[in-house]
Order: sequence, then C-alpha cells, then structure tokens
Amino acid sequence: MSRADKVKAVVTPDVPQNAAIFAQDLNFVYNAKSNFAKQALSHIDLTVNKGEFVAIVGHTGSGKTTFVQHLNALIRVQSGYLNVLGADLSARKPDLKALRRQVGMVFQYPEYQLFADTVLEDVCFGLKNFGVDKDQREQMAQDALQLVGLDFDQIKSKSPFDLSGGEKRRVALAGVLAMKPQILVMDEPTAGLDPQGKAEVLSLVRSLNQQQGVTVLMVSHDMNEVYENADRVVVFRNGEVAFDMPPRQLFRNEAEIEAMNLEVPAMAAFCNELERHGVVLPDSCRTVDEVFAAVKALREVPNA
Amino acid sequence: MLRDVTFGQYYPGNSFVHRMDARIKLVLTLLFMVGIFFVQSFAVFGFVTVFLLAVIFISQVPLRSVLRSVKGIVVLLVLTAVLNVFFAKGATPAEQPLWSWWKIEIYANGLKQAAKIFLRLVYLVIGSSVLTLTTTPVDLTHAVESLLKPLRVIKFPVHEFALIMSLTLSFIPSLIEETDRIIRAQKARGADFDTGGLIKRAKAFVPILIPLLVGGFRRAEELANAMNSRCYEGATKRTCMRVMKLGWRDYVAAFVTVAFFAGIFVLYAMRGSWGGVTWLYF
Repeated sequence: MSRADKVKAVVTPDVPQNAAIFAQDLNFVYNAKSNFAKQALSHIDLTVNKGEFVAIVGHTGSGKTTFVQHLNALIRVQSGYLNVLGADLSARKPDLKALRRQVGMVFQYPEYQLFADTVLEDVCFGLKNFGVDKDQREQMAQDALQLVGLDFDQIKSKSPFDLSGGEKRRVALAGVLAMKPQILVMDEPTAGLDPQGKAEVLSLVRSLNQQQGVTVLMVSHDMNEVYENADRVVVFRNGEVAFDMPPRQLFRNEAEIEAMNLEVPAMAAFCNELERHGVVLPDSCRTVDEVFAAVKALREVPNA
Repeated sequence: MLRDVTFGQYYPGNSFVHRMDARIKLVLTLLFMVGIFFVQSFAVFGFVTVFLLAVIFISQVPLRSVLRSVKGIVVLLVLTAVLNVFFAKGATPAEQPLWSWWKIEIYANGLKQAAKIFLRLVYLVIGSSVLTLTTTPVDLTHAVESLLKPLRVIKFPVHEFALIMSLTLSFIPSLIEETDRIIRAQKARGADFDTGGLIKRAKAFVPILIPLLVGGFRRAEELANAMNSRCYEGATKRTCMRVMKLGWRDYVAAFVTVAFFAGIFVLYAMRGSWGGVTWLYF
C-alpha cells in the first residue's frame, strides 16, 4: 500500500450499501474569511436510504437549505464527507452532469425559473442540457407533463407566462421530473399553493416515491404534510441535526417540538391525547382516514 | 459568486466616519473627487494616499473590503491607462520617445501620465466606496434629497427623484439574490455557463435574463400596488423619522478635509512658481 492510498483510506468512510445519500461530519461556513462568517452546517451525519421519503424541517436559518444544496453540488463540500448515489462529492472534480441528472432539485417557487417561449421548450431545457436527443426529449416531456396532471396537447405550445400560478408550478415541476431523477429534492414544494394544489403535489410526490422508488427529500414548514407523508423526519437546529426519527415518534415529544418553535401536527396532537387516555394506535396511522379506521376497528372489538 | 459585489454595500460599524452626517460625507466625497483632478504630481499623490489611508483607518472598514471595489473594474482602469501611454506626446517638443515603431511612439511623459490617470481613477473608486461602505443607502438617499432641496424653486421633483434613487438601491440586493437563485435553479437543470464559445455562452444567459426581467417587473408592480394601497403620495409634505443634524464630528471632518484640499489647490495654482522644490512636481 502506497502512502497516498493510506491517506485516502483514512478520509473515505464506508458508505452503506443501500444509501442514496451519505454525509459524515459535513461542515459549511458562509463568508468564511470575513467578520460576517456564519456556521451554516456543523458536523452533519446523515444517511438517506434508497426509496425513502425523508422530510427536513427546522427554523429559518437552521441550515436545511444549505444542506440540500450540497446534494447536487450547487454548494461544494468545504469539509467532511458526502456521497450521493456513489459519487464522492468531497472529491475535487465530481462528474456534475451525471450527478445533476440523477438528483432533481425543485427550488422554492420553481415557477420563477421558467423562461422559454413554450411550455414544451421549457420542460425540455434540462433534457437538452443532458444531451437527450430530440425525439426522445418530446416523449419524456410529454410523460412528465402528464405526470403532473396537465394536458400535453393543449399546453405544449402555450407560453409559460400565460398560465395560472398553479399551472406554472406544475410545468416547473415537470421540467425537473422529465429527467427521471433517482433522488428528488424539494424545497417547500407546496408553499403558496391552495389546499387542493398542495394535495395534488403531495400525492404526485408520494406516488413517485411508492411506485417508482424515487428517493424523496422534502424541506417543509408545514408539519401536517410532513407528518402524513414522510417516513422519517430530520430536524435541523443551528446547523446541526437535532432529531432524526419517524414522524410518530418525533411528534410525541410535544414539549420539545414546541420549544423549537415548530408546530405539532393536528393528527399527532389528537393521537397523543388518545394515548394519554390509554388508547394506543399503531405508529403507521397518521392521516385522518387511517386514524378513523383504526379507532373504528378498536370499537368493533369491545374491551380487546 | 454574486455575493462579492461590494459596490453600494454597507459595512456595518460605529466609527467616527459611520456616525458622521451623510450630507457632509457626500459633500466631502464630491470635494475629494473634484480635488483629485488637481493633483498633478506623484509627491502630492503621496499626500492624498496618506489622507485616504487615514480616513479608511478611522472608518474601521478593513482595507480588503475597500480594495474589493477596485478589483471589479481593475481591467477597465488598466486599459484606460495603457491607451493613454500611446496617445500622450512628450512633455516638451524636444523630448525623444523611449521606444517607437511605425507610428507608435512611447514617451517617458506618457508613462508618467498613464500612471497618474490610473492612480486618479483608483482613488476615485476608493473614495466613493468609502462613502457607500460607511453610509446606509437610506441615509444616502436622505442626504441627496436634503442637498437637492434648493432645486424645488425651479419645480424640480426632488422627493420623487430621491424615491427613485432609494428604490433603485433597495432593488439591487434583492435582484442579486434572485439572480443567484435562478442561476442555481438552471444549473440544477444542467445549464452550463462556463464552457463553449462566445455565442454559446451568451445564449446560456437567456434562461437567467428572462426570469430575472419577468421577476423585476413583477416586483415593481407589487411594490406599486403596495404603495397605492397605503395611499402613498409623494408631493405632499412628508417628514422623516430620523432628522439629520450636524454634530461636532461633521465640523471636524469638514474642517480637516477642506483644509487639506485647499492646500492641494494652492499647490496646483502655484505650480511653476516653486521652481526650487522640484520633488513636489515630479
């Protein structure tokens, strides 16, 4: 073993087989050399397995957006180790194109990034950049637009600026989904949508996750949607991971959640209250329908 | 990457310079900018350098932050200076060129002139960035409004002018932030701004410029609506929350600066009559 190999062996940790994202001791400082230096991430250890639906929550400025931007190298690793789908992002020159095609990133208010003359062109922008040929591009764009619930033939030659707010959001979403990413990172995908729009976006994300096995990371401020959709919740606080556990477990700690200025989801509060009265439902019951069914089932078996 | 834009960026602090009245700072900066054109020799540039360094030291703004504003346009400044080398003739008709080729002649005087022009431009930029680094955009706008007040006599819309200025200044950071966000969003979709020829690179900016323009108009409209819904009317008598008052700092700073530049004007006016003191006129 040469000297170089030895050094490398020390800094490269073992990445678990099933991990889509693996971060170890990840740190990031903004404006490192000035008086305004701010530690945005400190000692982040986090593993996200393939096919998981993970929600990232935390107060404004807790580092969650900084963290997710690391995932397709929009922010480069300053110190620590980060591996996304087998690519070592701490390396000096990772293959950015391949990485960005596999990690779809939906920013806050993605409709503000629309630019092309037609919807079709806009959805194809990413595909074109990644070198997909023309015929295939149109087919993939069609698939993506249908996936987000838009009528392809009707919308493809419209200007994206003539659409309604909800439609714009979906076109922007289709622009990312068209690339068929293996990891979907979303920064508040439902912000500013009406309740129905929110439900539609969430059910789309859920079906991508459950049917196509897409790994989903969702940053959100809405604890209700986090509670009902995520397999796991990661709470960021002052650039550190404060909690990392399944939603039911997390929101049992009502006092701690409120101490972090986060809200306890309505259904979690309801189930917590039931538990205080001795009625314990399975941890998997988190939506209104699931809880209703579970309570009903309990009643049908008296004094079980 | 866009966060490095220093021009017009306030460096928070509580120094002597920060606490001065913005109007005085503005007037003194203008005096400095005019005065610098009366500096004719390297020796006097030396005095100005000391003066400028003293002001920067008192303002407690790190020299690095001040110099960053020069970094952005250094190419332009060097180009201007280099062009001057080619166009300047000898100080006297008798002066021989140092180097000549075809119709191009370079004189020692040309090199001297170019160096002075470069210094003058650099000092202009540094002087104005000391102002913007130590004064918030809001204070600066108030200062402009207050100084332009006499123009009301000729029906010049002073308040509206100041409003346009403050809106422009307040839009700059938010537009920078938005540009940054759009760039990241398009990069995430595989956009590539760093490779390819000139035309390809220019084309790569379309996906940034269009959302930026659309966003700019959107913001402008939102702001106009917000102002309308609060019944904003510019022309009526408005008062300021913070009334600007001159303090001892302003008198001291004004006295020192005016005295310094009075000296420079004297040196300029008396050039030629101080034949013995040649080092002053190198």
